Amino acid sequence: MTELGIVDIREIIRAIKSFYNYDFGNYALTSFKQRLERLIIRNNLTNAESLIKKLKDEPDFFDIFLHEISVPSTEMFRDPSLWRWLREDLLSTSVEKNIGKFKIWLPNCVSGSELFSLTILLSEMKLMDKVTIIASSVSNKSIEIIKEGQYDLKKIEVSTENYIRANGSGNFTDYYRLDRYYAFRDISLIHNVEFNKLNINFENAPTNVKLILFRNSLIYYNPTMQDRILSVLSNSLSASGNLITGIKERIAGVSSSKDFEIVNEAESVYKKRIIG
Amino acid sequence: MDDQMNYKAVIIGGSAGSFQVVTKILSSLPKTFPIPVLLCLHRLKHVRSGFVEALSLKSNILIEEPYDKDQLKPGRAYLAPANYHMYIELANRVALSTEDVVNHSRPSIDLSFITAANAYREKLIGIILSGANKDGAYGLKKVHDCGGITIVQDPNECEVKTMTTSALQLTKADFVYNTDQIIRFLQKIN
Repeated sequence: MTELGIVDIREIIRAIKSFYNYDFGNYALTSFKQRLERLIIRNNLTNAESLIKKLKDEPDFFDIFLHEISVPSTEMFRDPSLWRWLREDLLSTSVEKNIGKFKIWLPNCVSGSELFSLTILLSEMKLMDKVTIIASSVSNKSIEIIKEGQYDLKKIEVSTENYIRANGSGNFTDYYRLDRYYAFRDISLIHNVEFNKLNINFENAPTNVKLILFRNSLIYYNPTMQDRILSVLSNSLSASGNLITGIKERIAGVSSSKDFEIVNEAESVYKKRIIG
Repeated sequence: MDDQMNYKAVIIGGSAGSFQVVTKILSSLPKTFPIPVLLCLHRLKHVRSGFVEALSLKSNILIEEPYDKDQLKPGRAYLAPANYHMYIELANRVALSTEDVVNHSRPSIDLSFITAANAYREKLIGIILSGANKDGAYGLKKVHDCGGITIVQDPNECEVKTMTTSALQLTKADFVYNTDQIIRFLQKIN
């Protein structure tokens, strides 16, 4: 097992900044270290030096780096009670009031699990053609994987259990087919989704968004970056738009959290404050 | 094991058969226990509530499931939340993560122990209790390699001994103790 020291990590951050002008200096240290170590093993590298060399010599590898450094959502319909709430409360009332204008943004798609969960929910509610969904990713490779529908077989079981707990109204097996090594999700679910690639600071984020699904991403940033990203999200939301974060993420510690008020504490749902 | 040693934290890992042991330990620690107690116990992914409440029934110290970046305080126990890994960062802070399962587990005992060992080095006490898989074995080795104190519950006392025997295979623990001995050891910390 490769173990990276603080100095190694600083070297990697400095190298990426000089080659590609991406600054990972404000990522949360322990998980970033963990991701780098995993990435080194997966790419048959040996240490920080060999990773830096590959990043320098192979510009295409940087996109793979961006995919693998990002942490995918753990499973579909994680926290089933949130999905129940979206079905029974938020989406069932808000979309009809804003037909054609209900824009949903997922700023950080890695595996597509949140995206597919959302589109399954919306199609069961027959709301797919009444919303606009924008799925952003920091890596083209992530977008490719999502568009192919590729999904980890090992996660099917827990995703199925979650779907049932989330009161899914169909059969979860209708939404994927099995292959030898992967499950493939039904990509007709995402044919209306608009994909775009953003940099890690989410520059050029969409505007007038009604709902942002951004769960368990803030944990990978330090407070400086949390503040910056939250302010981007706040600017993206329309008045009274909702932000959903992970249930164990706190936004209260940073100054841009003043833009938000909590509307559902158990599921970590916030509303953009109306400043007036 | 001297009480003059300046420990910074105690971390406890357990799985099947550890609940009663943890309960007994928590009920024996004084309210004024001078360091944080970190608990990484295998639990159902989708059951978010109830575990803290059950552990709290007899505990003298406050038990909480931390949020990401929470500051650890002495005299409190921190239970790794369902479906998150719990890391310990420098400066006594928790960091949560949703990275892949390790040893089929999230929270993974190995990851909590490894990160706590990096943060506290020789000032950490690591304890492995009853359990049905080998999660924690590598983590306890890391505590040992960083100079911390390692304690393994006596496998003969464990309801399920896989976790403790796996830990003992990888590390020559400082102490193999039954529950009462673990409690006496911890009560000497002040």
